[in-house]
Amino acid sequence: MALAEICKISNAPYMRPNAWSSADVEEEQKGLMCNLANPYTLAAPPFENPLHNLNQIQANGDKTGVKINFDHGTTTLGFKFKGGVLLAVDSRATGGSYIGSQSMKKIVEINQFMLGTLAGGAADCVYWDRVLSKECRLHELRNKERISVAAASKIMANIAHEYKGMGLSMGMMLAGYDKRGPGLYYVDSEGSRTPGNLFSVGSGSLYAYGVLDSGYHWDLEDKEAQELGRRAIYHATFRDAYSGGIIRVYHIKEDGWVNISNTDCMELHYMYQEQLKQQAAK
Amino acid sequence: MSSRYDRAVTIFSPDGHLLQVEYAQEAVRKGSTAVGVRGANCVVLGVEKKSVAQLQEDRKVRKICMLDNHVVMAFAGLTADARIMINRAQVECQSHRLNVEDPVTLEYITRFIAQLKQKYTQSNGRRPFGISCLIGGFDADGSAHLFQTEPSGIFYEYKANATGRSAKVVREFFEKSYREEEVANEHGAVKLAIRALLEVAQSGQNNLEVAIMENGKPLKMLDTDVITDYVKIIEKEKEEELEKKKQKK
Amino acid sequence: METLLGIKGPDFVMLAADTTHARSIIVMKEDQNKIHKVSDSLLISTVGESGDTEQFTEFISKNIALYKMRNGYDLSPRESAHFTRKNLAEYLRSRTPYQVFMFVAGYDPNAGPELTFIDYLANALPVNYAGHGYGAIFASSIYDRYWHPNITQAEAYDVFKKCIAEIQKRLVVNLKNFTVAVVDKDGVRDLEPISAASLAA
Repeated sequence: MALAEICKISNAPYMRPNAWSSADVEEEQKGLMCNLANPYTLAAPPFENPLHNLNQIQANGDKTGVKINFDHGTTTLGFKFKGGVLLAVDSRATGGSYIGSQSMKKIVEINQFMLGTLAGGAADCVYWDRVLSKECRLHELRNKERISVAAASKIMANIAHEYKGMGLSMGMMLAGYDKRGPGLYYVDSEGSRTPGNLFSVGSGSLYAYGVLDSGYHWDLEDKEAQELGRRAIYHATFRDAYSGGIIRVYHIKEDGWVNISNTDCMELHYMYQEQLKQQAAK
Repeated sequence: MSSRYDRAVTIFSPDGHLLQVEYAQEAVRKGSTAVGVRGANCVVLGVEKKSVAQLQEDRKVRKICMLDNHVVMAFAGLTADARIMINRAQVECQSHRLNVEDPVTLEYITRFIAQLKQKYTQSNGRRPFGISCLIGGFDADGSAHLFQTEPSGIFYEYKANATGRSAKVVREFFEKSYREEEVANEHGAVKLAIRALLEVAQSGQNNLEVAIMENGKPLKMLDTDVITDYVKIIEKEKEEELEKKKQKK
Repeated sequence: METLLGIKGPDFVMLAADTTHARSIIVMKEDQNKIHKVSDSLLISTVGESGDTEQFTEFISKNIALYKMRNGYDLSPRESAHFTRKNLAEYLRSRTPYQVFMFVAGYDPNAGPELTFIDYLANALPVNYAGHGYGAIFASSIYDRYWHPNITQAEAYDVFKKCIAEIQKRLVVNLKNFTVAVVDKDGVRDLEPISAASLAA
């Protein structure tokens, strides 16, 4: 044990004679699962001063091979127009160059009037969206009216800011319809939150923006808007390797959201291809 | 008999009373009167100030105070207790803005105050707040509201109500003379509030404090001259009414 | 990348801020307001790490509002600046520092206008004119050349125009739009924004 003394590891739990007593295990379990009791107390990264050290670990990822900076690819978009709010997303979940799923639901239905899109760490987004959805329902029960999109996004931004630098990775849009009309907010894991008319988030957003910006104006008809969203995501899936699968389109109106379509991007590809051919033939 | 059951707040008496809480309500009944009237597009709060001692600086002893830009509160009971309550409520108003962007609704802040009061009736080593609050103001949708909370932690919404000394008399007065059309404008609502206060005011018109809040506008405290004008009008009307009655006879 | 500008005159303070909200190489938004009206006679403009800017400014402004509620009168611009600085300094030495750069600008009926420059290390300095961000480097010489102690609001607005024209000409980043606000004895109000289009006209 002398060496252990010198190395100053004799105090570590595993060096104690009765290492890993059930009490220790329980303690550790409690630390890691504290969020089951209170969803806001997520366990911090398991080392000292995570805010500082996590950055270092991520920065040195190439040398050490410790890679905890997830690769994530997505294309999501949302815009407000005269007919409400439109959201469109792809459905491909990737881990690096590996496609984990082609049928992810990247739109989370928070309640009948509010939707959240997810980009970034899927687990982070889904987890916090569920917490948010609990919070929204409680707000509704306590105050006898639906929570505003502004308030919901604020809750999310406050959470994100609280955990800033601790490894969360999210870029989400919250969209809904409340008594002030249609609402669209962008919230990310940096803690920033901003309302706007048109956003796109994810690795494919650059491509989606191209189509979106060139076709967007406020007075779009419902059908045109739905097609614009679908089209923008389709072009993003075409160019961005990390986006693909099913293209889901949701439309939020005064009386709640409607799932407009879920189309495989391959079908769309051949359909648009066919349209091009017909145009060429004329 | 009762002395055995009022040692701690948390002990019920055999007949189901929380004596400490009821004593707190007694403190409210001893406090100077506060009235509130909800008009169609305004909320009026009025209180009777304690008369100022001869050598006391007549700095405004505030019994009507703002909780937020759109919420105003008047109270009857222990002023020192009220200060604590006001402070907590003001902080909550700002934190609500910070956390969910929107300003508080009147029901929300009333519920917050009532909840705090309730906490003090169910935990050891504390005593209930000896105040009853009238909370008035506007929701974001522009609707006027007037709430009242009591030391026990219950709250109700009213069109017009009073608390403090001889609240019962004033409440009966309101029940008799509250007319929707009369409080449709600011003038009528203020007149009703002052009339109610005059019913029970001990030191007369000089010690009234009246505040008006209209939607989206800052709180307006009425000057003594303005109050005197109102009092004159009210007295004149009373005389006219008496005349009429005499003529009928 | 973001830019803030501020000028103090004998009886007013004028602020300008760009309106870009960028994330990596993408411009997310072209109409982000970075000049916050905190009270009837106080403006705070903030740039810095996204997220921190909104959170910190809101925290400060709600506290200043609370002060007014409690006391019945406003915190003066000078006091507000000290309050802001102290909070920033305390957060700087905590685990969660805020990386923000800001101007606290206000008008005090007794003490006159006050413009305070605050950076992310919680340096606070009352100044006559200053800027934050890359754009401010170009602006500084323009200020030195055109500012004078009796500058009027029209002249100050003109100096901003010169600064913004220079930023749009020389800075590699595209900052199209600037919002402008002024605070004087009549309170705070927005002025006509300065953009590439309005400069060309």
